[in-house]
Amino acid sequence: MGTVTESLRRMGKLLITLYMGNLKFRIGFTILSILVILGFAVSPFSPTNTRSWYIVPRDRPPSYEYPLGTSSMGRDILWELCASIRNSLTIAFVTAMIASHIGLFLGFIAGIRGGVIDRILMFITDTFIIIPGLPLLMVVTTVLKRYLTIPTLGMLISIVSWPWPSRQVRSMVLSLRERTFIHTAKLSGMGTFRVIVQELMPYVLGWHLINFTNTILFSIGTESGLAILGLSILDDNTLGVMIYWALNWGYALFRGIWWWLAAPVATLVLVFISFYLVSIGMTEFMHPIARR
Amino acid sequence: MIVEGLKAGYKLQTIGSSEEVGVYVDAVSGVSFTLYRNEVFGIAGESGCGKSTLIKAVYGYYEPSLVLRGGSARIYGAKGEEFDTTRMDRGLLEKRVWWKHMSYIPQSSMNVLNPTMRIRDHFAEILRIHVGMKKGEAYQEARKYLEEVGLPVDALSAFPHQLSGGMRQRVVIALAILLEPSLILADEPSSALDVINQKVALTLLREKQEALKNTLVIVSHDMGVHGVLTHRMAIMYAGKIVEIGRTADIFWKPLHPYTKALIESLPRLGDKSKRVGLSGSPPDLKKPPDGCRFHPRCPYAMLICSRAEPSLREIKEGHYTACWLYSEAVGEPR
Amino acid sequence: MPNREKPSMVKGLKQLLKYIATRTAAYLATIFTGVTLTYIVVKAMPVDAVENILFNIISVTAVYDPASIELLRRNLYEILGMGGSPVESYLIFIRRVFTFDFGPSIIAYPTPASEIVFNRLPWTVGLLLTSTLTVWVTGNLLGVIAGYFRDRRFAKVLESVAITLYPIPYYIMALILIFLFAYLLRIFPLGGGISIIPEKLNLEVILNILWHSILPAASLILPGALGWSFLSSRTLTMQTLAEDYTRYAEARGLPRSHILKRYILRNILLPQTTVLALSLGGIFGGALLTEIVFTYPGVGQIAYRAIFSGDVYTLMAVLFLSIIGTATGTYLLDLLYPLIDPRVRYR
Repeated sequence: MGTVTESLRRMGKLLITLYMGNLKFRIGFTILSILVILGFAVSPFSPTNTRSWYIVPRDRPPSYEYPLGTSSMGRDILWELCASIRNSLTIAFVTAMIASHIGLFLGFIAGIRGGVIDRILMFITDTFIIIPGLPLLMVVTTVLKRYLTIPTLGMLISIVSWPWPSRQVRSMVLSLRERTFIHTAKLSGMGTFRVIVQELMPYVLGWHLINFTNTILFSIGTESGLAILGLSILDDNTLGVMIYWALNWGYALFRGIWWWLAAPVATLVLVFISFYLVSIGMTEFMHPIARR
Repeated sequence: MIVEGLKAGYKLQTIGSSEEVGVYVDAVSGVSFTLYRNEVFGIAGESGCGKSTLIKAVYGYYEPSLVLRGGSARIYGAKGEEFDTTRMDRGLLEKRVWWKHMSYIPQSSMNVLNPTMRIRDHFAEILRIHVGMKKGEAYQEARKYLEEVGLPVDALSAFPHQLSGGMRQRVVIALAILLEPSLILADEPSSALDVINQKVALTLLREKQEALKNTLVIVSHDMGVHGVLTHRMAIMYAGKIVEIGRTADIFWKPLHPYTKALIESLPRLGDKSKRVGLSGSPPDLKKPPDGCRFHPRCPYAMLICSRAEPSLREIKEGHYTACWLYSEAVGEPR
Repeated sequence: MPNREKPSMVKGLKQLLKYIATRTAAYLATIFTGVTLTYIVVKAMPVDAVENILFNIISVTAVYDPASIELLRRNLYEILGMGGSPVESYLIFIRRVFTFDFGPSIIAYPTPASEIVFNRLPWTVGLLLTSTLTVWVTGNLLGVIAGYFRDRRFAKVLESVAITLYPIPYYIMALILIFLFAYLLRIFPLGGGISIIPEKLNLEVILNILWHSILPAASLILPGALGWSFLSSRTLTMQTLAEDYTRYAEARGLPRSHILKRYILRNILLPQTTVLALSLGGIFGGALLTEIVFTYPGVGQIAYRAIFSGDVYTLMAVLFLSIIGTATGTYLLDLLYPLIDPRVRYR
């Protein structure tokens, strides 16, 4: 327990230092906070059910009453967008929670134990890396279409998201293992597990945070990709699903209802850029050479 | 070479604070000395006393944080050409001075050779760029030269990581002597090596100096290196030269209290008495003390030492020191 | 002494052979496992291909006799190699993989699946090869320049542009490009690979194909060239500039252009070839989403249709090609890299 609270405290301190010291992180984190507020604090106040059809006038351009306009499905795009941000972020968070931790765990074991265990784990990782991720996910979502919900979709995406964090953590641990302080810790009679927790964790934690952020990026991207192909949860709101309906059902571009498509695309771009800024802000902090 | 009143130091910016606070580290604070042809000159002192900065400033290689604050460093080519490295810009130094008239041997040889280039190309590129040789000619010349300095010829086709540390250092030394410059600046040329390789590297340096009859400057914290190799030497303390003289005089008749302490701390054969080191530590060069920079640690400090700075004065023939103890008459400290 | 004495030569050769053997074994094993895993997942698809074909045949020929439908169904199962136990059909599949014959396709029955895929391959490979190479060359070039002149204004502008473009997935970029250039400005077509009937290959046909492929290529090149390869080669350049060997080369009075070429480019391009090899290995998988968004007639388009019609064989042919490509890229790189980069040795 002690190490967990200690880790959380460390992370909190890291976030504050980053926010104060790194411009990229500050910009990214600010945009991100606004998106999170829109998704989680604002969206519950939606006056209408964002999943129902034809509840507001259709195809209205942005106006005072409907700031982002309305869609051909008769939905208020502003409120649909807020709900979509919430769902897309939730899916991504689930993926990142699962995939980055699987990656952390396997990478750690492989890096620390080495030998046969390392080889077996890396063999499995490499196998997953060579399987084309998107087509595989397409098949899996077709197979499990009935069971798709916001959390289960997040879980499915994590199937193809863990190998890269795993490789990253492994090489990190391998290079750390060569440093003298680990040898010293081993010589002083600490068990393998305690070596991991006490000596390596503080170093790997920062990279883990970066992996976590990158996995979120990957997951949002994958979900919107699946959605464009019509393989996401089409009766719920996500940023990708909004694009799907606008493109494939509403023919938004042909009919000139550009605001229907522009809102989710612009939001996705903001999501990607903000998470990426957060990620490189952290990388620069962890790895000063990139800062110069 | 004549160095006059050279001042250089590091401008640092405190990272993390929003306002930019410039801090200046006064690493070389008004240094003057003269070097002659056909001599090996040593510069000694504790780490952080500014000796490496001094030769970087003389060489004219300024990294972003290193700034020149005044003084001059004139060097002379084999035909008497004069160059003031403090008055020349980087491009001019690259074209006219570096490697042709003056070369530099860095502190560690571990990572100074291009890992993706064979050893022969390191020699060839200098011959092609500075002398204008053709590629084939340059390779032949490199082979001939390597035999001359006693390096195995098959090292030519090796990549740097295939050589041992000692070999790599010898390659770096050989590179520095390749164009037979009239001045060679060596910054701790042997400190990263084991005893045997140290001896090999230093011997190579001295032999080449004797053959070329040029000027070799050796910077080292190791008094043993100076005792074996140098003819004259300077002792630096906190950015200033406190004593210059013939190496033998410095070792046997040191004048400055700091030099005395330095010499006394050396182990001597057959002497079993305990070494008494200096108490205290060198001053912070961001805010150096007033007066003589050594006075806070000096066992003979007088009132004047904390108020005014002593200048470098010739006490005996060719033996200079900067100390108030010798201001009136030549003699032993009271 | 250089590590080149005779006894170590023999030892080195043995080590090399052992290295090649283990790498080859791992290569074949990952492919086998990858293909098998993919096969299991694909087989679980709920869309039944036989019922699909039956439905098509029935709706066209109006056969209503239940007995003949049942006969047809059994025949189809047999022809498609889909009868029998799962283990049996897996073994049939493996045998087919070795002959590169994946069985008849369903989306264009009875054309063989491999033929369909190979017909579409030039489109995908053409698009992806060009864009991958463009990305690599321009990205690295710009990255090195921006890293070398990192304090200049244009380098900072380039960096900001790269940071904005890099995280955007290529298919979102595709949507933005379609919106700007096909919808607003109307300079490029909304999609497709070619809009005239090609009777023979002439300039007109080539120009038409190029005209159609500019937006898809741009959607891949923009996030790539000004993104990943730019940012990574810029960082590598700055790292190399800070290395002792680069600074000592400067102190030797070597001119800038020489240092840029021999010291910086050389040390950077070597690790960057890794990325090139991996992305070249990946081009057979196609850029599925680009092809869908632009209705581009490539391999990804086929995979998409195959998934929706339960066409296991065609899908497996596409996935197999993609697995082979990625695995081979990594494998060749592992074998050849120590030859290219003197710093790395076979382990």
